[in-house]
Amino acid sequence: MTILEERPQFAFEAHEASLMEIVPGPRPHGIVKFVTSTDHKQIGLNYLFTGLAGFLVAGLMALVMRTQLIVPNNHFVTENVYNEMFTIHGTLMLFVFAGPFAFAGFGNYLVPLMIGAPDMAFPRFNNLSYWLYLGGFSLLLAGFLTNNGAAQFGWFGYAPLTEAIHSPGPGADLWIVGIGLTGFSGIFTAVNIITTVFTLRAPGMVMFRMPIFVWNILVTMFLILLAFPVLTAAMALLWIDRHLGGNFYNANKGGQPILWQNLFWFFGHPEVYIIALPYFGVATEILATMSRKPVFGYKGMIAATLSIGALAMGVWAHHMYTTGAVLLPFFAAMSLLIAVPTGIKFFNWIGTMWRGTIVLNTAMLFCLGFLAMFLFGGITGVILAQPVLDFQLHNTYFVVAHFHYVLIGAVMAGFGGLYYWLPKMTGRKLSEKWGKLGFALLFIGFNLTFFPQHDLGLRGMPRRIETYNAGMGWNFLNELSSIGAYITAIGVLVNAWNIFTSWRHGEIAGDNPWDGQTLEWACSSPPPDHNFEALPPIRSERPVWDANHPDMLTKVGH
Amino acid sequence: MKVESRTVLGAFTFLTVLAIVYWVLVALHGSSTERSGITMLVFSFSAYALLGTYLLAQYLRRHGIPRPEDRFDATQEDGAGVIDYFPATSIWPVGMGLGMVFGACALVWGLWYLAIGAVLFFGAVFGWVTESDYTEDVLPGSDPDELAASHGDFASSSAHGDH
Ligand code: HEM
Ligand SMILES: [Cu+2]
Repeated sequence: MTILEERPQFAFEAHEASLMEIVPGPRPHGIVKFVTSTDHKQIGLNYLFTGLAGFLVAGLMALVMRTQLIVPNNHFVTENVYNEMFTIHGTLMLFVFAGPFAFAGFGNYLVPLMIGAPDMAFPRFNNLSYWLYLGGFSLLLAGFLTNNGAAQFGWFGYAPLTEAIHSPGPGADLWIVGIGLTGFSGIFTAVNIITTVFTLRAPGMVMFRMPIFVWNILVTMFLILLAFPVLTAAMALLWIDRHLGGNFYNANKGGQPILWQNLFWFFGHPEVYIIALPYFGVATEILATMSRKPVFGYKGMIAATLSIGALAMGVWAHHMYTTGAVLLPFFAAMSLLIAVPTGIKFFNWIGTMWRGTIVLNTAMLFCLGFLAMFLFGGITGVILAQPVLDFQLHNTYFVVAHFHYVLIGAVMAGFGGLYYWLPKMTGRKLSEKWGKLGFALLFIGFNLTFFPQHDLGLRGMPRRIETYNAGMGWNFLNELSSIGAYITAIGVLVNAWNIFTSWRHGEIAGDNPWDGQTLEWACSSPPPDHNFEALPPIRSERPVWDANHPDMLTKVGH
Repeated sequence: MKVESRTVLGAFTFLTVLAIVYWVLVALHGSSTERSGITMLVFSFSAYALLGTYLLAQYLRRHGIPRPEDRFDATQEDGAGVIDYFPATSIWPVGMGLGMVFGACALVWGLWYLAIGAVLFFGAVFGWVTESDYTEDVLPGSDPDELAASHGDFASSSAHGDH
C-alpha cells in the first residue's frame, strides 16, 4: 500500500498517548482480552465464533432429527426429545447463529473499518451486548438440563401451547428469557452501529459513498429497533401469563391467543430481513471485488434495501393466513410487492458480474451458491404468499423446504464472507483446495436435504412430526433428505477444519489479498488498535480501488 | 446529517401511510378484535418521528455548514483532532452483563437470583460511571467546550463535533 504512505495521518496520537496512561503496561492477551476488550474487532470475532458454535450445536440437533426421520416408525428419539430438538434448533439457528453472526459479527468487525472509524461509538456497550448474547445462548441451552427438558413448542411458541398448564417447568421460561437477552443484545448493537454510522465516518465518507454492506447493516439496525422491542413485550406478557396469573393469551379468561401471533410476527417477519439483509451486503461486496467492477446500480441497490426494510414492516400476517383472522388481500399484496426490490437486487448482482473479470475462488463460489439458493427460496416464497396456495401448503414440509432455502442461501453468503474477510482478520488466507471441497459438499448436501422436502410437502407430510407410517409414499424422499444432511455435516466439518488449520498455517494474506475496493483493505491484516495509520482520500464508493488504480478511477455521478 | 435525517423521516412517512391504509382497511373489512397491528404501527412511526426530528434538528443547528463526513471534497486534515474517547479495555460491561443474566434467571428460578444480579449490576454501573470520569483529566480536549474553542467553527472540528 505504498500509495497510502504520503497521505495525511488520521489523528489518533492524542488518545493513543492517553490510553497508555489509563491502561498501564501492555495490552492484555488471551482470556483477559476476550473478557475486557472493547475493541470492535475483538468483539466482532467473539460474535462470529460464538455464532458458529451455535450453528454447530443446532446442526447436531438437525442430525438427530434427520436420523429419527430416515426410516418410518423409527424410535431413535422419543416424541418429546424430537420436539425439544426442532424448537431449540430453530431458536439457536435464528437468534444465535444466522442473525448475530452477520449483523453483530461481520457488522461489528467491518462497519467501523469500512467507514474509516477508529472503533464503535460506544465501545463498552458493545462489550456488554456480547455478554447478553452469550448469556442468552447459555440459558437457551440450559433448558436441556432441567427436569422437564427444554421448550417443546416450536420456535414461534404459539399460545396456548406456551401457557403454564401445557408447558410446565423452567424449560419454557428459559426459552423466554434466553430470547429476551439476545433481543437486548441486538437492540444495544443497533443503537451502537447507527450512532457509529451517523457520527464517526471519515471525512469525505458521505452517506452515498458507504459500501452497500454498511447500508444494509444500517437498515437492518433500524428494523431491529422496531422489531425486537415488540418481541420483548410479547415475551413479557407471556411471562406474566405463566407466573402472575395474567390472561393475555388465555382464551378461557377472555384473552386472545391470536394476539401472540400478531405480536410475534410483527417481530418475526422483519426478523427474516434482519437475517437476510446483512448477507445481501456480504454478497454484494464479494461479487463486486471478485468481478473486479464497481457495484452495478449503486444507488438503486440502496433504494432496494430501503424499500425492503420499509415493506418488511407491513407483511407480518402472511404467516397467519390460515387463522382466518387477517386481512388476506392487504397482506398478500404487500408480500408480493416485496418481491420487487428483491428482484432489483438480483438484477443488480447480475449486472455487477456482467462482463466482469470474474475470479472464481471459494468466496465467489459461496456467493453464487447464495444467489442460486436464495432465488429458489424466494420463488417458493412467492408461491406461499398467495393465500389460495398457502391454505394447502401451510405447516407442511413445503414450508420447511422454503425457509431452509432462504436461510441457507443467506448462510452460504456468510461462509463466503468468512473466506473473504478472515484473511483480513487473521492475516492468513484459507486453503482454496479445502474450501472448494467444503463448498461442493455443502452445496450438494443442502440441496439434497431440502429439495425433496418440497415434494414431501406436496404429498402432505406435516412439519414437526417425529415419525410417520410406511405407507404414505414419504419413505424414499425422507431417506434422500437424511443422506443429504449427513453430506452437509461432512461439508461443515471440512470448512471448520479449513478455518482451524489456516488460522495458524495458511498462506500469508497481506493487506489487500483480493485487490479489494473498500476501506477495510487500506489497513494492515489484522488491523491495529484503532484501525488506521492513514486513510486514502475518499472520492467514490471505492476509495482503495481508486488509490490502487489511478488509471481506472470509479466514475462518480455527481 | 441531511441524508441521515431524510432517510429516517422517509421511513416515518412510509410507516404513517401504511398505518393509515391498514387502519382504514381493518375498519372496513377486518375483524373488530384486531387492534394490535395498528398499535404497533403507530408506535413504529412515532419512534421514527422522534429520531428523525432529532437528526433534523442536528442538521438545522449547523446552519448549512456540513460536517467533514458530509462533504464530498473533505480531506483527512478536515477531520484532524481528537475524535472521541475510546477505552481499550473495561471490566465493567461483563459485570453488568452478568448482573442482567442473573436478573433473567430470577424470572425463571425465583427472586434469589435477583439479589446477586442487582449487586453485580449496580456495582458495575458504579464502576463504569466512575471509570469515564477520569477521561477528562487524561484526555486533553475531551471537554466539549474546550474542543469547540480549539477548533473555531463546526466545519473543521472533529467527527463528533456536534456534541
Ligand atoms: C445444516 C443443515 C440443516 C438441517 C439438516 C436442518 C434440519 C431441520 C429439521 C429436520 C427441522 C425440523 C422440521 C420439522 O420437524 O418440522 C428443522 C427446522 C428448522 N430449521 Fe433447520 N436444518 C438445517 C439448517 C438450518 C439453518 C441454517 C437454519 C437457520 C438459519 C435453520 C432454521 C430452522 C428453523 C427456523 C426451523 C423450524 C423450527 C420449528 O419448527 O420451530 N435450519 N431444520
Ligand atoms: Cu414473513
